[in-house]
Amino acid sequence: MLEIAELSAGYLGEDIIHEVSLAVSEGEAVAVIGSNGAGKTTLFRTVCGLLRASQGTVTFDGRRIAGGRAHDTARRGLAYVPAARHLFPEMTVTENLDLGAYPKRPQPARRALVHDLFPRLAERRRQRAGTLSGGEQQMLAVGRALMSNPRMLLLDEPTTGLAPKLAADAYAALEALRRHGLTVLVAEQQVPLALGFAERGYVLENGRIQLQGTSAELAQDPGVQRAYLGIA
Amino acid sequence: MRAVVFDGVVLGLQFGLLGVGLTLVYGLGGVLNLAHGQLAVLGAIVAALRIDAGASTIAAVLTGLAVAGFVGLALDLTLMRPVYRRVGEDRVLLGLLLMLGVAFIIDGVLEWRYPIEALSLRIGGDPVDILGVRMRTGSLLASAIAVGVGVVLVVFLRYATVGKAVRSVIQDEEGAQLCGVSPATVRAFVFALSGVLAALVAVTRSMTSPVNVNAGIDFTILALIVAVVGGLGSVSGAFLAGVLLGIVNTVSAHYIGTYITTIVLLAAAAVTIVARPSGLLGAGRE
Repeated sequence: MLEIAELSAGYLGEDIIHEVSLAVSEGEAVAVIGSNGAGKTTLFRTVCGLLRASQGTVTFDGRRIAGGRAHDTARRGLAYVPAARHLFPEMTVTENLDLGAYPKRPQPARRALVHDLFPRLAERRRQRAGTLSGGEQQMLAVGRALMSNPRMLLLDEPTTGLAPKLAADAYAALEALRRHGLTVLVAEQQVPLALGFAERGYVLENGRIQLQGTSAELAQDPGVQRAYLGIA
Repeated sequence: MRAVVFDGVVLGLQFGLLGVGLTLVYGLGGVLNLAHGQLAVLGAIVAALRIDAGASTIAAVLTGLAVAGFVGLALDLTLMRPVYRRVGEDRVLLGLLLMLGVAFIIDGVLEWRYPIEALSLRIGGDPVDILGVRMRTGSLLASAIAVGVGVVLVVFLRYATVGKAVRSVIQDEEGAQLCGVSPATVRAFVFALSGVLAALVAVTRSMTSPVNVNAGIDFTILALIVAVVGGLGSVSGAFLAGVLLGIVNTVSAHYIGTYITTIVLLAAAAVTIVARPSGLLGAGRE
């Protein structure tokens, strides 16, 4: 469904990710794990079209994604939830959700699904997004992405700034989404959570893919255990 | 005193309508349109020329509005493209300089080709008594248009899907893109709208006093003051600031003298910037 081939990209002429290749099939959940500054956000921003690639290609559903036209990517069913969330702070929760469906009218059924998944959002529907707690903002960012009925979700560090209990809740919500048939690519620093959720994973270090395999294989890898799982 | 305040409100509603276009364009892309007043005058002069050529007033005014809107759209699609590719201070500065150049060009061409042209619309009918103050029909019609357009704009931004898209780009451009909103399309639309609104102010202004070819710079400065005081990016803020400044303007003109009004308005803007740097209301809230 999503194919990334030899992708390099960065800022101001300096590449941050180098020749990254990865693929996600329909219905799969795949994790990209790596520490701060490894290039996860740069990779995701390029995939969704916010950033122009310096070389390589991104193909979604058989069609190339061009840099600088992120709104097209969103309309084609690839929804990106950035770690920085990028909500509309002066708008209510409902207005934020409704914009997720743009340019179509928001469907009541989709809204109900999001409210089912995150009952907190239903309670706070009239509240301005800027006044929500960090966890609620994360729910809203995911909920907004779901409003367009996307076929694939790109999640950048969905647990940033969340207490451990809330982080676990977030992944429980993601499991529920997968049962709805959603394909997910998630970037994560909290490796145990990510490997528990995804079937496969890639390890990104210094902008390059260092390792890939099933979640079980990665969890057994001595390097991964040392760097991310706190096992000496 | 009551008559002075009423005059201030009439003037202030025009100020508000003038500030709206400037404030939206700035909120969307960081471009401070220094040719805003020149677009207004361009629309007015086109209307005046059409009237000279024998067109009906309504048709002439609509042509003037359309030309100003079209020039706004054309500027966005050509000159502003390289501006929007830049970020931060670079963008603001380049936009400022380019639009200043456009202002000079429009001013120059109008004064060269039509030095004595002016738009002056006479609205017939006897003065009307409102709360004991005799108001000219021209003032009332101008105010009614400003209020009507203001209400439509706020309702549009608050409830219409495209209006929400406009606000989303003002509040978080990247977030808007992720929702499928194209900032470039929204900006082009709003730049054209802002041209139409600017020309509309020149038209309503001409119902009480003539609009000359060299009025552009005054319109631009007023629009800047109103937009800054109201909060760049806020439509309701622009109207609030417009009415307050309109009253300040007529009161100071009446009790001190017209020579003082520009100084008082600029002082009001300076005080607002110091006391509330983001203006009276926040950007994109409506």
